[in-house]
Amino acid sequence: MIRRRREPVYRTSSGFVLNLDDDQRHLLRRLIGEVRELITTGSNDDAKMRRLFPPAYTDDEVLDSEYQRLMREELVASRLSSISMVDEFLATTDGRAMSTAELEAFASCLNAVRLILGTLLGVADDADEPDDPQSPDFALYQYLSWLVDSAVNALMTR
Amino acid sequence: MTLVAAAPSTIEKTDVRDDQTVAPDNPWVVLVWNDPINLMSYVTYVLQKLFGYSLQKATELMLDVHHKGKAVVSSGSREKAEMDVFRLHEHGLWATMQKDGSSGKGSSS
Repeated sequence: MIRRRREPVYRTSSGFVLNLDDDQRHLLRRLIGEVRELITTGSNDDAKMRRLFPPAYTDDEVLDSEYQRLMREELVASRLSSISMVDEFLATTDGRAMSTAELEAFASCLNAVRLILGTLLGVADDADEPDDPQSPDFALYQYLSWLVDSAVNALMTR
Repeated sequence: MTLVAAAPSTIEKTDVRDDQTVAPDNPWVVLVWNDPINLMSYVTYVLQKLFGYSLQKATELMLDVHHKGKAVVSSGSREKAEMDVFRLHEHGLWATMQKDGSSGKGSSS
């Protein structure tokens, strides 16, 4: 079997290598910047926000509103912290390897982008087919799936 | 964080601060629900990372989520369950919590 492409993320003895060119790094920085924008200014009624901040209690509104009140700010802070870490790494030009913490943040940030894109695209079942499979956003979604999968495989390889 | 209003009054006061002794009397379960966006590999990885499950255990739970629509991934006191839900939400998984034995949304278990 021919291996068509080199893995975008792989483990080495000195850390994880992110094998992406400048254009891809710029694209990812822009996308996670949009996540930062959404979670700092988005409305709670927005479907994308509901997917990023789902209810903890589905059968008790009182308990859930208490959960949201206590945890939402912390959840936003956690996401912003991951975004900053990934953005800083993507901005580096010295070619250093990624730490485990940076790669974990990378996987969860890109997954957040996928959650938003998937919600916008109306990805609705496990067949992974959106309303419009030809859309550029779906190509982007699949590209991000490929990156997240590669990051996870690198993290799980011992 | 306040305690749940319906907390049973039968728990012995000396045990209240000990999760391990409280948990059997007041169990909460944390559920992860199937969703069409999260990757199977990612879900397996998150379950391993957050709960220290073996690859086999995490894969079994992920497949339960995938095929049955949901799986119980952890249980314990309400505080522990809330923290677990929070950590799952941090990673973008669709997680909820409920009292053990309640049917929950769309349950068929």
